[in-house]
Amino acid sequence: MDFDLTKEQEMIRKEVRKFALKEIDPIAGELDEKEAFSEELTQKMGEIGLFGMFVSEEYDGQGMDYISYIIAVEEIARIDGSQAATIAAGNSLGIGPIYYFGTEEQKQKYLPGLCSGEGLWGFGLTEPTAGSDAGGSKTTAVQDGDEWVINGSKIFITNAASDMTMGVTVQAITGTRDNGKPEYSCFLVESGTPGFKAVPMHNKLMWRASNTAELYFDDVRVPKENILGNKGDGFHQMLKTLDGGRLSIGAMGLGGAQGAYDLALKYAREREQFGQPISKFQAVAFKLADSAMEIECARNVLYKACWLKDQKRPFEKEAAMGKLYASEVMSRVADHAVQIHGGYGLMKEYKVERFYRDQKLLEIGEGTSEVQRIVISRYIGC
Amino acid sequence: MKIFVCVKHVPDTAATIKVAGDTGFEDADIKFIANPYDEFGIEEAVSIKESQGGEVVIVTVGGESAPDTIRGALAMGADRAIHVEIDSQFLDAELTAQALKAAIEADGAPELIFTGKGSVDTESFQTPYRLARLFGMPVVNEVSALEVNGGKALATRESGAGEKQVLEMALPCVVGATKGLNEPRYPKFPDIMKAKKKEIKAMGLSDLGVDESAAKVTLVKMEPVPERSQARMLEGSVDDQVTELIRVLKEDEKVLG
Repeated sequence: MDFDLTKEQEMIRKEVRKFALKEIDPIAGELDEKEAFSEELTQKMGEIGLFGMFVSEEYDGQGMDYISYIIAVEEIARIDGSQAATIAAGNSLGIGPIYYFGTEEQKQKYLPGLCSGEGLWGFGLTEPTAGSDAGGSKTTAVQDGDEWVINGSKIFITNAASDMTMGVTVQAITGTRDNGKPEYSCFLVESGTPGFKAVPMHNKLMWRASNTAELYFDDVRVPKENILGNKGDGFHQMLKTLDGGRLSIGAMGLGGAQGAYDLALKYAREREQFGQPISKFQAVAFKLADSAMEIECARNVLYKACWLKDQKRPFEKEAAMGKLYASEVMSRVADHAVQIHGGYGLMKEYKVERFYRDQKLLEIGEGTSEVQRIVISRYIGC
Repeated sequence: MKIFVCVKHVPDTAATIKVAGDTGFEDADIKFIANPYDEFGIEEAVSIKESQGGEVVIVTVGGESAPDTIRGALAMGADRAIHVEIDSQFLDAELTAQALKAAIEADGAPELIFTGKGSVDTESFQTPYRLARLFGMPVVNEVSALEVNGGKALATRESGAGEKQVLEMALPCVVGATKGLNEPRYPKFPDIMKAKKKEIKAMGLSDLGVDESAAKVTLVKMEPVPERSQARMLEGSVDDQVTELIRVLKEDEKVLG
């Protein structure tokens, strides 16, 4: 057994940490406050290679293993959930489906621009009436000669309504299966296609500096070569995409927990009450000890899931465990961190309140905690 | 142009240093980084190479974990490196300069040598001067702008009194880099992978004919500085107090850039 990361993986961590501290930390609070998505910052993240991390170099990706990608997301999330969301969604949901399921032409056409960070791509799955019940979606695509005509809407789609957005992948019903259930296929819809509208969503509790959109498709016509992979593969593609995506959400939980813990530990060692640093009081020290322990456990389960994926072994159960556990760990750690900060923890000047808010999405997005428990329970034979 | 950059492997300034023994500190769990001033030298050397061609060689005198720092410099675009491995945490500045000189000379004739203006660990600010003296080269330290053309280097430095000096030196010369010279790049991820394949030539002090027992300055005692806790009261008009406060935050406490 070997728990050491490679030198290169360690360097990725060190460089991303340095980047996050220098480029993101000074402006994260302001972007959150203004609910502003920063194109400039997104492009900077692209320049160092934060997009297309697991994509091979032939499509201008960075050609790295999955664990390096997860470490990068973790390190960004340690400083800011919003930017981590841009990276995680950009890679796992934007780039991932095109890279794993796209035709050669689609990969050549779209990946270089997305891997450089010049453009972003959304992944339209969730609908206003279809959340955990993904099979209940209503968006349809009907073939008309050499084109598909898409109608419907999607909601809560990250990176889909920025000025950098080049397009979205949208899942739609394309027929009925032999068993009577709907058949799904995914389509690539470029920004600017007539009838396609992406509207930014505002007034969010969390991830306020990431771009979130509602998508509307009103007789949107795309050429038939814009179908992702094969007709009828949409449901399978979605499941596979979410398996990988869970690891990046887990990385956001892990990184966010680490960030909140770092702030709490620092504060507890500096803040004095009753004549000594509050870290010396067991009531505070035990919270920090529990946090350190849970972060360690979360990191181990998540890295193991990544290792399985890199080894091309089944990782779906561990991915669900990693996502579920890391997001719940962040919930407890951020809660402790605010408590340790006392009244200051409720103020925006102290960064922990942002971690406290940003955490909640992780138990809801890309499969709620309840859905993760269903996934795990099926794997263990319930 | 053949450019050498002297890079020191130093503890992260954010690390908590625990003194161990009389003259050392615990380094097993401490994060080390490239001396930040040296990074300006790496960036400058790599951009000169990119515009004028040539080669950038990193030279580091440091302990066994120094290659981690060296890989970072290679990922920024340096071509290869020389690691002079030492056992002690603090090597006499004269011996460091001798080791750097011997390692550079053994590799080939330098046309330009960068160091940082000083290192953030020991802060003795000696390497550029000692190295230049050993080579018999001109040196300018605290360089915040540089032009290298036609066998000459035009270096700008800010003197403590607030004026800028522009100094011309014939190549080869030693340049002590400081903040302002450039904005060091973040290595791109594929370059981190490529850095793995670049050469780091390892050698010891004895290979270079440097006698460690000939140190002229020896560290005899290292102790933690007692934490300062007394408050400083500012006096005068509100304007004076604010001006002084900003100065204190910038210059004394260095919390503002």
